[in-house]
Parts: sequence; C-alpha cells; structure tokens
Amino acid sequence: MQLVLGWPVRLLVIGLLIFSLVVDGAAYIYRLQNHIPLNEPLPKGQNPQLLGSDVYVHRGLDLSGGSDLRLRLSNFPPGRAKADVLSQSVDVIQKRINSLGVNEPQVNTVGSDQIEVQLANVSASKAQEVIGQTARLITTTWVKDPSIAVGPNVGYKPQITNLTADMLTSANASLDQNGTSWVVNLTYNSQGAAILNTLSTKEYNACSQQGCPEQFMTQWLDLKQSDIDNWNTVAPQVYKPHDQGGKLLVDAVTQSVIPAGAMQITGNFSQDTAKNLAVLLNDGALPVDISVISSTDVGASLGADSVKRSVAAGLLGLIIVVVFMIAFYRLPGLLASVALMFYGALVLAIFKTLSFTVTLPGLAGFILSVGMAVDANVLIFERFKEEVRAGRTVGAAVEAAVRRAWPAVRDSNISTLITTIILFFAASGSVKGFALTLMIGVLCSLLSSIIVTHNLLAIVLNFGWTRSGPLMLGVGRGRA
Amino acid sequence: MAELSREPQAGRVTAEAVEEDARDPDVEEVVQEPRVRRLDIVGHRNVFFAISLVIIVPGVVSMILKGFLLGIDFQGGTEFFFKFQHPVTLQAVESAVAAQNVDGVVQQGTGGTYIVRTSQLDPAGQQRVTDDVGARGGPLEGGRPQEVILIGASVAREIVTGALTAVVAASACILLYLAFRFRKVQGGWRAGFQFGGSALLALLHDVFLLTSIFSSMGKVIGLRIGEIDSLFLTAVLTVVGFSVHDTIVVFDRIRENLIVSSRLTFDQVVNLSIMQTAARSIITSFTVVLVLLALLIFGGDTLKGFVLALLIGIVSGTYSSIFNASPLLVVWRRLQPVR
Repeated sequence: MQLVLGWPVRLLVIGLLIFSLVVDGAAYIYRLQNHIPLNEPLPKGQNPQLLGSDVYVHRGLDLSGGSDLRLRLSNFPPGRAKADVLSQSVDVIQKRINSLGVNEPQVNTVGSDQIEVQLANVSASKAQEVIGQTARLITTTWVKDPSIAVGPNVGYKPQITNLTADMLTSANASLDQNGTSWVVNLTYNSQGAAILNTLSTKEYNACSQQGCPEQFMTQWLDLKQSDIDNWNTVAPQVYKPHDQGGKLLVDAVTQSVIPAGAMQITGNFSQDTAKNLAVLLNDGALPVDISVISSTDVGASLGADSVKRSVAAGLLGLIIVVVFMIAFYRLPGLLASVALMFYGALVLAIFKTLSFTVTLPGLAGFILSVGMAVDANVLIFERFKEEVRAGRTVGAAVEAAVRRAWPAVRDSNISTLITTIILFFAASGSVKGFALTLMIGVLCSLLSSIIVTHNLLAIVLNFGWTRSGPLMLGVGRGRA
Repeated sequence: MAELSREPQAGRVTAEAVEEDARDPDVEEVVQEPRVRRLDIVGHRNVFFAISLVIIVPGVVSMILKGFLLGIDFQGGTEFFFKFQHPVTLQAVESAVAAQNVDGVVQQGTGGTYIVRTSQLDPAGQQRVTDDVGARGGPLEGGRPQEVILIGASVAREIVTGALTAVVAASACILLYLAFRFRKVQGGWRAGFQFGGSALLALLHDVFLLTSIFSSMGKVIGLRIGEIDSLFLTAVLTVVGFSVHDTIVVFDRIRENLIVSSRLTFDQVVNLSIMQTAARSIITSFTVVLVLLALLIFGGDTLKGFVLALLIGIVSGTYSSIFNASPLLVVWRRLQPVR
C-alpha cells in the first residue's frame, strides 16, 4: 500500500482533479462567454468545445426526445452481395435523413439485414416518411413553352419521358477512358435501351449547334408532373441539386447517340460526387423493401422531465449519503465525502470527453453507483474501528484496515465488473448505457474510495488534533 | 498550501506505521475471543431458510401458474403514453382506441396519463391512432404522445434471449471467479467451489425472490409496476452483482479468520465472520437504499418498476448474504467435508 501513498499517485490524482474541473467548468465558461443563462438549455448546434473536441453530455433519445427506428430490409436483389446492399442502403438513408437537418443523426447496421436509425427531436412518423420515401429516378427532356420565364432555359420546360427507374439495372462511378475525370455509368435493360436509343437519337439531332436546350437530358429524383405544371413558380426550388433540397440529379448535354442502353454521364465530378450520384441513382431502382420492426418515440418534454427528475434524485441521494457518512464516521466520513465529490466530477468529465451517449437507465446506473461508491470506504472504516479497538495506533489502524479490506474490495468490484461487461455485450440499446455507466462508476469509485480517501486520511491524520477519539474518528481508544 | 507542505511527513508517519504493524503478532488480537458473537445465525439457520422459503415458494407457484405480466419489449406490439391537456375519462380513450381496430387495451397511468397497447403499428399507423385519440379525447399535452414504443415479435425474442443469456453467463462467470479466488482455502478447488456455490445459491435466492414478488404483483394483484421488461432484467443483474458483493465480504472474512484461528470450529468461524461484517453490509445497503428511495420518489414513471426491483433485490441481497450464504456454506461443508 506504500505505492498508493507515493507522490506519483498523488500527482496523478491531482492531475485528474484538474482535468475534471477544467472539463466540467468549460461549459460554464462557455455559457458566460456567449451570454447564455445557466438555467436555459443550450441553443441547437452550439455545444461547448475545448481544444477542438466536444465537452458536453450527449443525451440519449430518451432524454433529449426523438425517435429510434429499427428497419428490416427484405427482397434483396439476387446476384448482389447482401453486405453491399446493406451498406449502400445505409448511405441512402443517411442522405435522406440529412435533408432533415438533425443534430448528429445515427444510422448503423444491425446484423445482416437491419438498420438502426436514431434521430433527435424528430417523431417516428416523420422519420419513417423521410426514410421510406420512394426516390424515383425521372428522366426528362426539354420542350418549348413560351410561357416559361424562369429556370435554366427560359422558354422551355421539362417533359417526363417513358424511361423509368425500374429499367435501370445499375449505376456506378468510374474514371473515364483517359483516366482523368470521374463519370457515372448507367446501364438500362433492353426495354430501357430501346427507349434511350430513340430519345438520344432525337436529342442528338435536335440542333446543329451543340448545347441548345433540346439537347439536354435531365435526371431528377421524384420530379412530379405537378411540378412541371407549375414550373414558373416552383422551378427555382426544384431545379436545385438534390442534396440542397431540390430534385435535380444531373442536367447534361447528349453528346452522342446511345444505342446499347449504356449511358455515361460526364460533368465536373469528383470521386465523391460521382459515387454519391451512383448511389442515389441505384437507389431509385433498388428493389429492397424497408419495414419498421421496432421504434421508440419520446417526446422532448418527457425527456426533459426525466433529466430534471434524475438530477433531483441524484442530488438528494448524494446529500443523504454525505450526511450519513459524516454522522457515522466523522472525520473519515467527511474525507470520504470529499472523495465522493471528486468521484462525481471525474465521472462527469469522463462522460463529457468520451462523448458517449447517456440514456435514462444510464443516469440511473450513475446515481446507483453514488450509493455504491462509498462501499469500499465503509468496509475500510469498519475495519479501522475494529483495528483501533484492538489497540493499534491510529496510523497503524488505517494501514491495516486498508490492507485487510483490500481483498474483499477487489473481489466484490471484480464481480460487479464481470456483470457489467456481460450486460454490455449481451443486452441491447439503453441497457448497454446502464452497463457502461455502471462500469465507469465502479472503476472511478475504486480510485476515489481507495486512493483518494486513503491519501486524504494520511495527510489529515498528521495533525494531532484529528486523532483525538470519538468526536473525530467515531471510535474511542481502548473500548475493546 | 499548509497541507501540501506537510505531505512528505505523512509518507514518513505511515511508513513507520507499517513497520510497527508488521512487527505485531498479527490478527490474533482482532479475533481474540468471540466477543461479538451475540447472535447465533449459523445455529438458527433453519429459521432463516424458512423465512426465505415462505416468500419464494408462493411466488414460484404464482410464476408457474400465472407467469408474468410482460412489458412491451418482451411481448411485442405498440405502446402509447398519452397525456391530455384537460382531464379525459377512461371511456373516452377506450372508445377512440376501439374505433381504430388495432386490438387496443387502455390502462390508466399516474398523473392523468393513459397507456394504450395495440398490435404492431408502423409509425404511420401510430400517427393515425394518435390523431384519432387526440380528436376524440381532446388535445394532447405537447401535441403528441409522451412516448410511443413499437417492438416487433422478432425484436422481442432477441431481447428476451439476450437478457436470459446475460443472467446465465454472469452467474457462471461469478461462480468460476469465486472458485478461483477461494481455491487457496484449506480444501483447494473443492472448497473454492463450496464458497462459489454457496454464493451462487444465495444469488439465485435473490433472483427467485425478486421474480416471485414481481410475478405476484403483476399477475396476482394486477399492478402495472410488476411488469417484466428488459429494464427489470437489468435490475436483476445489478442485484446479482450487489448480492455477490455482500457475500464476498463475508466469505473473505471467513477466509481470513480460518487462517488465523485454529481454536474455533468451522461453524464458529463462520458465525464470527458474519457478525464482524454484518454492520458493513447493512450500512452499505442502507446508503444504496436511501439513494434508491430518492430515485423512487423523484424519478420518472418509466423508472419506477426498475427502481422498485433494485430496492427489493438489494434488501434481499443483504439478507441472503448474512442469513443464507454462510449458513449454506456450513451445511455444504457437513455434507461434503474437506479433509
């Protein structure tokens, strides 16, 4: 136990304390700097940062409000690797969700055919609407209409062709023949190829000078006939890239006749934009059905209420434990309470810097660990009383108590850690959060109850007056 | 700063303390005579076993005959929590739900909330039910249900399997760990497994007691708080960890006392160890119980069943570690003596 009292360990503890105070204090400084009152929630997207990384408690959906959906994919297309289709679907869903402008959306695969989507402050029905929207690939040409006064081609409006999404067999991104710039390759089935042949022949020969509006073939997502009917009013909004809230995928000049149903779209593509477009186009034709197999939808007010109640319960629990420890163990109890505060600050700082998500059961786990954190202290202090009654000096009794209580502290905490580790791997969702917070709690409580309390005791017991009998130590000499 | 400058001295003082301690004839004086042996727990073990059985046996009967009230994540389906801006009668909510033809069951919650369970509805279907309930029952607080949960049948199966695996795996790991830790007690691995096995039995006692009480509450009395869901199983596992915590402290003391006192019989050593550690077990549980009571009073509705399960389990865990685990060890020793 000599090592525990050494300066390297003390410096480590002091370092951790400073770290905790800086991290925990950062949010307050941030609020002061930005003139945000202490009792108001932070505005969306304005989260405190320290040295470039986030330092705030990430709230789970059950605390922040929002929805959590588990989607199952079915009807996988034959001949394609399931994993590819799955990861592609994740990309597609991610893009669609991005249009909602949600803070930190989470889209993850679960198993081989499921996807989990977590969205803060979005109801499940809205989420399903956005995720499940059918992105139809629409191909249009441009026809003369003198009444059109807006859009890319004044005097022209789009006309939907009979080349439809289900005729597209694949879309992929590649480098062009020269290997210099990125292109998107589309392949159509025989029916599509025939239509494309007719269309491109007509377009290519539409005008002698390349680049007239009739030569443009345009790909859209979800363009509707009603959009075209109101072209004068909706054009500025619709003729915008898909990822900026519009419906446009690509607007390109037909540079040759396309005979075999294999079309190449060139443009100012980067590798990313070409791939993204391929993904989006594929999706239009992707025959994967999505069904919601589970969802949780928590209103923001319930989440806020849960946070308020948990914080109140946690504070009350903390006060009760502190009062109890001081009343029962006097000076050592006071020191254990100081260590408990250190414990609380450290756990909070860890939550903030590791930025993992705290759920309601997770909060309960944290509060529970406050009660359990003093366990090792109680073990040591009870042992300390025994050793003093057995006639040891105060200093020797502290040493003996720590040394003899250690095996029980070690074994009992390891058994709790075993439970939390198994819970973490076997359980699902919010229970994982509980396991994780309890695990961090147990580890930090070991640090605070063994190392911090022991060091504080060793320091304080140097003062003669602290060793004087029942009033200070909760145990008199020679009562045995 | 005054404290800081004194710290090096602290190191010296304790260093001496250790030397002084090492020179001691050691623990003999702590064990001395069985001064604290006022209560003969080992001798009256059958009384304590009987107390446990009185609670567990009817509960097990209830479990077998009636089973459990299943929470939404074990049963599958959709669950809504509605809170209205103005008071609404149960009948009004029931008629609104019945009109939707979704096998709806309505229950009244606390604080003017209603809990509605239906068959599996996708979010679009949930929206229809919500709209209809809002139209017939009156405006909802915040314009939407407080919470809506949908659990598909396959997901429910997955959750149940995961939870049961966790309980079994945790029990097995704890047994192995304890056998490993106590293998050095006289009697080797066999004694190790006696310690581990007794701890495991005490642990199962807590699991059965907890599930018994919840089965009775849910099915016999019909309280919604007696629902079994994944949070309940989390509570069971936490209780498992906590109960073993307490038991280990007693067993560790038995291990220590066995080494230093050859004058006492095994029964006496066990009883002495229980007496020496009972204060600590009760105090620790007491602090946790206080914290849990704070959570039960202030915590939200969603956590009530969870906190209650923890509360019952921790009291049971303390009871079993004092009154069951060590007496069981004594019984086991008699049936299977080591050397």
